[in-house]
Amino acid sequence: MILGIDIGGTHTDAVCVKDNAIVATAKVITGENLVDSIIGAIQGLCVDYNLLKRVVLSTTLSTNSIIEKKYAATGMIVSAGPGVNPRNYFLSNDFHLIEGAIDHRGREYIPVRKDQILEVTKILKKNRMEGVGVIGKFSVRNPTHEKTIYSLIADRFHYVSMGHRMSGSLNFPRRLHTTYFNTAVMPIQERFVRSVKNALEALGITSNILFLKADGGTYSSSAADRLPVETILSGPAASMMGGIALKRNSGTTLLLDVGGTTTDIGILIDGVPVLEPRGVCVGGLKTLVRGLKMVSVGAGGDSQVHTSDGGLRVGPHRYGPPVCMGGPQPTPMDALCVLGEFEKGNLNEAEQSLTPLARQMNREIPELARAIVGELVKTIKDSCDDFIHEVNSCPVYTIHEMLHPDPVKPEQVMVIGGPAKTLKPYIEDMFQMKCRVPDHFQVANALGAALARTTAQITLLADTQIKKLICPELDVDMKIPAWYTLNDMISFGNQALKDNAPYLGLSDDIETDVIEQQSFNMVDGFNTTGKNLRAKIQSRPGIISGWREL
Amino acid sequence: MIQAKRKTGLIFFPAYDWEISPTHPERQERLLYTQDQVLEEGLLDIEGIKEFKAGVAREEDIHRAHFCIPDVNSRITPSHNISAGGCIESARLVLEGVVEKAFALVRPPGHHAMRVVHGARGFCNINIEAVMVEWIRKYYPHIKKIAIVDTDCHHGDGSQDVYWHDPNVLYISIHQDGRTLYPGSGFTDEFGGPGALGLTLNVPLPPKTSDQGFLHAIENLILPVLDEFKPDLVINSAGQDNHYSDPITHMAFTAGGYARLNELLDPDICVLEGGYSIEAALPYINTGIILALAGVDYSFVREPDLKPEALREEPGVMDYIKELCESILNAWHQRNELSLPNQPLVERKRRIYYDTDGISENQQETLRFCSDCPGVFKIDTQASTGYRALCVHVPHGACKACRRQGREWFDTVKGRYYAAYLQDMDNDVYLIDIQ
Repeated sequence: MILGIDIGGTHTDAVCVKDNAIVATAKVITGENLVDSIIGAIQGLCVDYNLLKRVVLSTTLSTNSIIEKKYAATGMIVSAGPGVNPRNYFLSNDFHLIEGAIDHRGREYIPVRKDQILEVTKILKKNRMEGVGVIGKFSVRNPTHEKTIYSLIADRFHYVSMGHRMSGSLNFPRRLHTTYFNTAVMPIQERFVRSVKNALEALGITSNILFLKADGGTYSSSAADRLPVETILSGPAASMMGGIALKRNSGTTLLLDVGGTTTDIGILIDGVPVLEPRGVCVGGLKTLVRGLKMVSVGAGGDSQVHTSDGGLRVGPHRYGPPVCMGGPQPTPMDALCVLGEFEKGNLNEAEQSLTPLARQMNREIPELARAIVGELVKTIKDSCDDFIHEVNSCPVYTIHEMLHPDPVKPEQVMVIGGPAKTLKPYIEDMFQMKCRVPDHFQVANALGAALARTTAQITLLADTQIKKLICPELDVDMKIPAWYTLNDMISFGNQALKDNAPYLGLSDDIETDVIEQQSFNMVDGFNTTGKNLRAKIQSRPGIISGWREL
Repeated sequence: MIQAKRKTGLIFFPAYDWEISPTHPERQERLLYTQDQVLEEGLLDIEGIKEFKAGVAREEDIHRAHFCIPDVNSRITPSHNISAGGCIESARLVLEGVVEKAFALVRPPGHHAMRVVHGARGFCNINIEAVMVEWIRKYYPHIKKIAIVDTDCHHGDGSQDVYWHDPNVLYISIHQDGRTLYPGSGFTDEFGGPGALGLTLNVPLPPKTSDQGFLHAIENLILPVLDEFKPDLVINSAGQDNHYSDPITHMAFTAGGYARLNELLDPDICVLEGGYSIEAALPYINTGIILALAGVDYSFVREPDLKPEALREEPGVMDYIKELCESILNAWHQRNELSLPNQPLVERKRRIYYDTDGISENQQETLRFCSDCPGVFKIDTQASTGYRALCVHVPHGACKACRRQGREWFDTVKGRYYAAYLQDMDNDVYLIDIQ
């Protein structure tokens, strides 16, 4: 038995899953104290806690603390060397630049200085920093500098994170932001996990606690303590994973989560969500956190209906609930109410709200209502088209990919969210595609959290000239023979991912995928001096095995 | 957060699956470390810098710039279509106003490819800038005057050849003196055809020229010439082999110098050409050029092993460069006073060697020197591949008489030719008449 809990801004949803069925659901208002909300939702389920194998939480805790800047002042020790001026990325006076330079192949050009690090430590201590992030340019090619700094400061601060552990991908500014946010939310996450554990234990629940991540996967609470930044933006990931759990789908599917203010758009290919290759954005800053490729359009059921240049427009603003539910301005939900497709609303109020606009545009009210719903769906469709275009214009770097493109072409639409059922015929008409609306989509988020697989990704880089293999995420830095091959590295990586499953927060039944692999001959003068091997291996995201659609 | 002053587009096509041979300088690994550096520096996240997908140049795009003998498909590989297509795409981005500046970081390069192509020379099969320029003239006819400033260490003999007779394309090459480096040309007396005198300018710099010498030539020669020519579009053939660490040249230019050069030159489009110090130079030079184009501070960009004091020119070398620039500028100012041919047909004979493919070619070119237009010309070419061909080029803005002459040359060819070719720019027509 698995519990999935989605702690949203308004509601906290819980779902209990057993043997391929939803056995219970519960919903409570999210209060000030998130732990109380979680307990309230769990108690609402009325299930036997002894059967629980795991509890998965999807929270906006770290996202919100970043967006609202509600985190403790955090120090950063930055070694950058030449390049773009690193001070451009400093977010506060607690960022300190020190000497040190490593190049793209991981060669040290300027060493870090112990006296300078200790000097900076003094300042950070004086300014009462609890957490410090340590970051170097090209640290994923050679983490020596970060590790040196770490060893000098680790016992002086409560929370220390190192850049190369965040992700093996290149991108110094993103790694800097990621390390900063990670360190900043560590205390918040730690307190949260501790109190959730205590509260669950008080209920008699001692099973594993997992957290949902931005990539639609989950990881253990111990991994979340170390890398809390991965939980950012898990909300949209939850709904996307819920959509996958509710309906099995093959081929390419556009997934629309139609909310009140916005509609989230994502893409599933054979049931696997498409990921953002470079990392997601949070609090206006770009990070290396792996997340779903999504776009949010300011058009939903409660969006403002207005005119512009003589044409009907929906969104991007929302001024409250629909008029038929006591709101101030007409919305697409009022239009649906007029059309008899939203029975909860007050029909009279809905009709009245559309009257001035109908008069202004010289249209009958039902005709206007249809036009409003059409405009909502068209706004969503336009964003979908732009989104697909963007996905397909992603640069490629080989002749093969250039001449044999594999464009993403959606074959069907899946819609979840409040107005999903009523919008279905309009969407089918506008998209000219089959549209599916799963049952139980109200609990999609909690279900997505409950059923998401554990995920992690590692990066491997071998250089047979200097006879070294490194994997930053696992802090592997080992000698290899000159005849080491790409296949050797990939089998090493697959094994390393499995061996380090507990550290990475993975369950032991993972399946691995090689998502990138490259091999280059390195040449000096006219002699081949070695090979530069690169690979990324992940545990496959998706829904846990054994689950069939409802 | 960094904000670019100018919206800048990047077309990155490293062709990770193409090489001339496994240990050739023009190989798969060439742009690998550049990509690493660009990614690690986070350049693509700078507000206003965006990466775009390359395109694929079509056969008709190549026909506007070249006579490929016997045909395009047998002389190039798909990598060349994409490399030229990447340039076209960068031009499209600028001319459609999507971005203000664009940089085509593509390979293989192109500036040694001449108008007639029998094979590869200097690692180049087709001239990617010329293909782009002719695409621009076809689709954006309001762009009349174009300047190509070639800052590759090797003389761009291919680009010079394509635009030798063209009065609307100013080609300036600044390079290591041809007495000391491939292709052994690019001297100051190579000054353009009789109808386009002064519109080819060569600045052969002595070996070991560093930032000071290069920037002197830009500021005191190239910028004044551009000011006077007033191009509608400036293209930098941004070869990167003037770098002090380049393995096949002998100059002393730095990444910071390249960035400053682009800041001064302010080109609309940059196209990568040569540059084979793939670890020690390219990552830093490209970072510098991208930042300079976008108007972002590049002053912290430098090679980790840079020792500027060791690179400075000897005083005598600097004096030589100053005098050289002055004499070229004087020649430019007096370009209209040079004596012109007094016969209607001007001939020139050349031997061209294709070092990459080991082909020799003999050319006899005949220009109808015309006071009304740039003048039609034909090239009688025979290569060691066994192909002999007659290539007739009817230029942009050709007058009626030149047009008639071109047609007559094309129609009356007889004898031991594989084929006659006709490139008619104004009508965008390319004809092949196999004999």
